[in-house]
Amino acid sequence: MGCGAMMKSVMEVLLLLMLFFTAHAKEKSYSPPEKPTQTRCRSPEKETFTCWWEPGSDGGLPTTYALYYCKENSETVYECPDYHTAGENSCFFNKNDTSIWVNYNISVVATNALGRAFSDPVDIDVVYIVEPNPPEKLTVAVMEDKGWPFLLVSWEPPHKADTRSGWITLIYELRVRLEEEEDWEMHHAGQQKMFNIFSLRSGGKYLVEVRCKPDHGFWSEWSSTSYVKVPDYFHREKSMWILVAVFSAFIFLILTWLLHMNSHSLKHCILPPVPGPKIKGFDKQLLKNGNSDEIFSALVVPNFPPASTSKYEEMLVEYLEVYVLEEQELMLEESKDLLDGCLKSENSRSDSDSGRGSCDSHTLLMDKCGETKEEERQTNRESSLIETQGWKEEAINHDTSGRVKTWPSVYSPLPQYGSNPLDKQSSLETAKQHSLSTSSFLTQAGTKDALGPSYTDFCFSNKQNHLHPQTLAHRELQTRSDVNISNIGRKRSPATEYVEVQRVNKEDMVLLQPVVSRCGHIEGCPNLPKGEDYSKVKGVDCDNRLLLQREGTGEDVCPLVDQETNGEGGNCYTSSTVSTTQKPTACMYTSMPLQEETALTLNGYVDTATMSNLPSC
Amino acid sequence: MAVCSSVPISDLLDRASQGSDKLHALSTTISQDLNSHFPPIGRVIMPRPSMCHTSSLQTPSDKQQALQVSESDLLSLARSLLQAWSDPLLMGPAAQTISLLPFSGGNDIGQDRISQLINFNFLLSCFRRDSHKIDSFLKVLRCRATKTQPQMC
Repeated sequence: MGCGAMMKSVMEVLLLLMLFFTAHAKEKSYSPPEKPTQTRCRSPEKETFTCWWEPGSDGGLPTTYALYYCKENSETVYECPDYHTAGENSCFFNKNDTSIWVNYNISVVATNALGRAFSDPVDIDVVYIVEPNPPEKLTVAVMEDKGWPFLLVSWEPPHKADTRSGWITLIYELRVRLEEEEDWEMHHAGQQKMFNIFSLRSGGKYLVEVRCKPDHGFWSEWSSTSYVKVPDYFHREKSMWILVAVFSAFIFLILTWLLHMNSHSLKHCILPPVPGPKIKGFDKQLLKNGNSDEIFSALVVPNFPPASTSKYEEMLVEYLEVYVLEEQELMLEESKDLLDGCLKSENSRSDSDSGRGSCDSHTLLMDKCGETKEEERQTNRESSLIETQGWKEEAINHDTSGRVKTWPSVYSPLPQYGSNPLDKQSSLETAKQHSLSTSSFLTQAGTKDALGPSYTDFCFSNKQNHLHPQTLAHRELQTRSDVNISNIGRKRSPATEYVEVQRVNKEDMVLLQPVVSRCGHIEGCPNLPKGEDYSKVKGVDCDNRLLLQREGTGEDVCPLVDQETNGEGGNCYTSSTVSTTQKPTACMYTSMPLQEETALTLNGYVDTATMSNLPSC
Repeated sequence: MAVCSSVPISDLLDRASQGSDKLHALSTTISQDLNSHFPPIGRVIMPRPSMCHTSSLQTPSDKQQALQVSESDLLSLARSLLQAWSDPLLMGPAAQTISLLPFSGGNDIGQDRISQLINFNFLLSCFRRDSHKIDSFLKVLRCRATKTQPQMC
């Protein structure tokens, strides 16, 4: 019979006895005790254990409780050895009475005068009911880790539990919460007996508790609460943040100010300006103002184009051209330059004698034919004594070179020469001028190939304008070329032809004949008249004849003397028969004796001042 | 031929105790799960078989006895228990295997369902206890092996 069956039979016997005794008891509403309830049995260290029961109603009568147990495979019933150590309604089993890995069958019996009550039996094995005591000596300390605090929690296992021999293996768990909060923060610590808690609130008060559990058992109760207060480190933290914020705001302000100051240069750096026009001397502001004169005046470079008045004047050409046309039209072109050349003495290298209108390069012309012209001027001057009729034509002509020639309206005078060479003193000067101005000459100017060989230039002075037309009206030089020109007309306009004075007829007309000769002698100027073709006017004889004189004035001049004139009026004219082909090499230098004291200027012109000394008839 | 590097005994015992711990936890879970299928009254009236087949093994019954056992004996006890439970159902009456361990009787579950359940339940209870024994022995041995690391105990 097992341990349990034995227990039951004993209980039944006792119950019968109690019933017998209670039959004689008073008639009260007493009842036998109620069945007690076994609550639990626990062993704290796996060495001892305790069982507790819950008694039922006692039925109004004093009730006693007894615990009986028996061990596995043994039929011995034992009663609880210790009812007091563990307190009320408990039974404590000490080490001697405790066997492990053995089943216990425990029953509690409640007994009163009326009856007994048996609790349900319970099978337990001590190793399965281990519930240690809570950990002991819980300590919590506030530690610091790089300026941040944390809690260092440490504890010890319950003193009864023998963990050092390994009899019990405990694992721990702790919980933390702030004082003002309700929820715990759980932390599993394993088998270690210390733990760190981080993320603390500054100035907070914490509660820490810890409990333990054997490897196969029940959790212990929570240990006693340990309180800890975290010091205020937020204060320092907040002030630090304030400092950081202020500092960064300051830096931001400085950066903004710097950016503002350098915004212009930054703009240039990031967005380089589009290069505008760079014209030296070009002022945009002037352009914006709208004054174009100022702008362009700024653009004007000084000294450009090079302009010297002398050259300028030289370049400004006014021609008096004589065109030989089929219609026998004569066009005269006045050359300012020629006039000036006449006036000036040696300075003037202007080709006043040359057929300027048809020669593009005046200077060239002048250099080459200067000497020749001088001689011719002289000759022409003398011939100017002859009354010639000035042309008063005004026309605008375009020569082959494209120059516009203007025809001066005035024309010419020469009061002194001619019939009345000796005028008053007062008019002498003017006469001088006039003689110069009115010296007409027929030259053969070197022209370009475009121009014809026949060309006649008349040199008129600018100062003709100042002359009194009245005094000069009767002195008009007139040139009739219709007779002679007819011989000349080889080329039509615009080609110009050269003519030469053939003779002066009795009617005070200069008879012209075209010049066929070419000036091959002069370098670079094939059309320049040879010295032999030109005659300088020596003077005017009494018969109003031009006394032509030839004179060698330079190396380049190769005068061919055809005739000599003497002041006595031998031959009043010279006619130069020039062959069409004149060899340039035929260069004879002939000097003609000057008649009397004809004052000749260096360029071979007759000085009108001395003209009065000429012998006159 | 590969050279075995020695593993400290403490590590081995630690690893073993961890295994035994898991073993016992599993046995406990299964036993409790099976007992929940029985009504409480049935547990009371359930006839209890005689003894576990491993009851012949003399194991310490209290702490003092257990701590007095030498390490080698503890280890051999643990090993024997483990071997007994490698195939418990073989240890039936039909099994006449020759073993080093003394066994009294065998485990016969029975033919009908009730007896099968009762016998199986008993078998599980024996296993639960023995796994606890193994676990306890190994942990005592682990603690004894790590004198330099008291935190292991």
